[in-house]
Amino acid sequence: MTDQAVTGGTPGDDRSDRTAWGRIAAWAPYRAFMGAVTASPRRQFLILAAFPVLWVLTQHLGPMIQMVRVSLTDAYPVAPGVEQSFTLDNYLRFFGDPIFWQPFFRTLIFAATFTFCTLILTYPVAYFLARHVSPKNRMLMLLLLLIPFWVGEIVRTYAIMILLGNTGAVNLVLQWVGLIDRPIPFMYTSFSMGVGIVYLTALYMLLPLYSALEKLPQSLGDAAADLGAGAWTRFRRITLPLTIEGISSGCTLVFLISTGFYATPVLLGGPSTTVFSETIAGFFHVAGDQWPTGAAFATIMFLAALLLTGAFQAVMRSLRKGDVR
Amino acid sequence: MIKGNRVLLACVYWAFVLYVFVPLLLMVLMGFKDSKFIGFPIRSWTLDWYTGVFADAEVLSTFGYSIAIAILSTLISVIVGTWIAVLLEGKKFWGRAAIFGLTLLPALIPGIISAIAFRIYARLLGIEPGMGAIIWAHAVHNVPFVVLVVMARLSTLPNSQIEAARDLGADPFIAFLRVTLPYLVPAILGASIFCLLLSFDDFVRSFFLGGYDPTLPVLIFAMLRSGMSPEINAIATVALVLTAAIGIWAERYTRRANRNT
Repeated sequence: MTDQAVTGGTPGDDRSDRTAWGRIAAWAPYRAFMGAVTASPRRQFLILAAFPVLWVLTQHLGPMIQMVRVSLTDAYPVAPGVEQSFTLDNYLRFFGDPIFWQPFFRTLIFAATFTFCTLILTYPVAYFLARHVSPKNRMLMLLLLLIPFWVGEIVRTYAIMILLGNTGAVNLVLQWVGLIDRPIPFMYTSFSMGVGIVYLTALYMLLPLYSALEKLPQSLGDAAADLGAGAWTRFRRITLPLTIEGISSGCTLVFLISTGFYATPVLLGGPSTTVFSETIAGFFHVAGDQWPTGAAFATIMFLAALLLTGAFQAVMRSLRKGDVR
Repeated sequence: MIKGNRVLLACVYWAFVLYVFVPLLLMVLMGFKDSKFIGFPIRSWTLDWYTGVFADAEVLSTFGYSIAIAILSTLISVIVGTWIAVLLEGKKFWGRAAIFGLTLLPALIPGIISAIAFRIYARLLGIEPGMGAIIWAHAVHNVPFVVLVVMARLSTLPNSQIEAARDLGADPFIAFLRVTLPYLVPAILGASIFCLLLSFDDFVRSFFLGGYDPTLPVLIFAMLRSGMSPEINAIATVALVLTAAIGIWAERYTRRANRNT
């Protein structure tokens, strides 16, 4: 290209002083192709849209649909020569045995409790960052909290195991202070599981709360204070109602995530804290083929989680409306 | 009164910092303990567990396996996610809300259900459990995060830049490659790091879609089930340093990139 440019390409139709991009654009097959693609805005849009639409339908929605489909069959995969038939037995099995529905309700109660604990724990932290820290330090102090959250689920679960073990740091400190004589067995209880799950999900609560609190203008609180509202009244009547959106999305996210944990309950929980994800996983580990039942249970769990978070969001929305009025 | 509140809240903040850091610090410390027995107090120290980790071919190959999976799945997620973001951002068309909702779906499904659904779908597609299946599941799961990050960046691109390129004779594709794509680079890089870490840290999908070779979290999980040992601490600490370093670097990089434009 440089040779031609130097030896005198004349500006005009067959310009040779083009850049690489210009030459690609001028290349006849490319122009024919682009001409066909951009013949009409409609066609151009269809070509842009085809792949994403196909992707979300087959890759995002497809697995869920196939899971529901398998949950309605009597056997999967189908043995050759056997007729596959559709049935609701897999769903009925769930209600038939407390060994199935007990972990299910336990999971929902645990997830709700842990979500609430996360909210109580992170709200003051988010409030402090958004209202009492100068914007310059704010990002730094938020980043400090982000660092541990780059570390994986398993590693952090293991860290909690070391913290709460019988010879763990907490027991050591308590014994050293003299509060207890012998170690408290924290591990393999709902307590250790809660500490672990709150530890894993705190960030997903903290960030929505922080962004809701950051948007809240300081002037509202000042005005209320001028009108004689005390700190608690200001919090209850102004801060809380105006951050309900953040609370709502944080709680939804944390609830959904906590229902889906598998490794953490296995490692931190005990026989009395079996959660539904362990029940579901069981159907995919055993040698005998139980996939349809496992798929049915996973579907039940997903529907329950969706219904509960949907209802929760509706309640939060109506609360917000009620306060505006 | 207000000052008292502030001090109290500051205490809560620093207590929270302790809560998120202390468990990891203790775990790191325990990796230097000169005893097979996990627990306090630590009386003598050693580096043996680390030399053991770096001499263990299985552990090293697991690191490599996890990193390879993370890189390949991230490549897919970034390409697909950017494409979806370009389709969705700033355009109005019939079904856009539905496509957007479906795009976010994999990020909202609880972990175990997502893993099960992928496991069942992999059999339908004929993907054997193993590296390919894990890469595919991670790629699909991470697409929503790429879409959100790239869309946010794309919404700040002035339309005039594209129009200028088009006026100067660029067709839509070249305008995308030469104007939009360079503008998106910080977002794409940030999203890539996020995907790399999500994939590297992921347990539940790797566990249900893996073959005989474990990824790093699956290996640590399997070792933990047969008992705690300082060797696990050493492996976990190496993983921790790796992920935290990449995370901090990415955070600084994206902040600097945002400040410059």
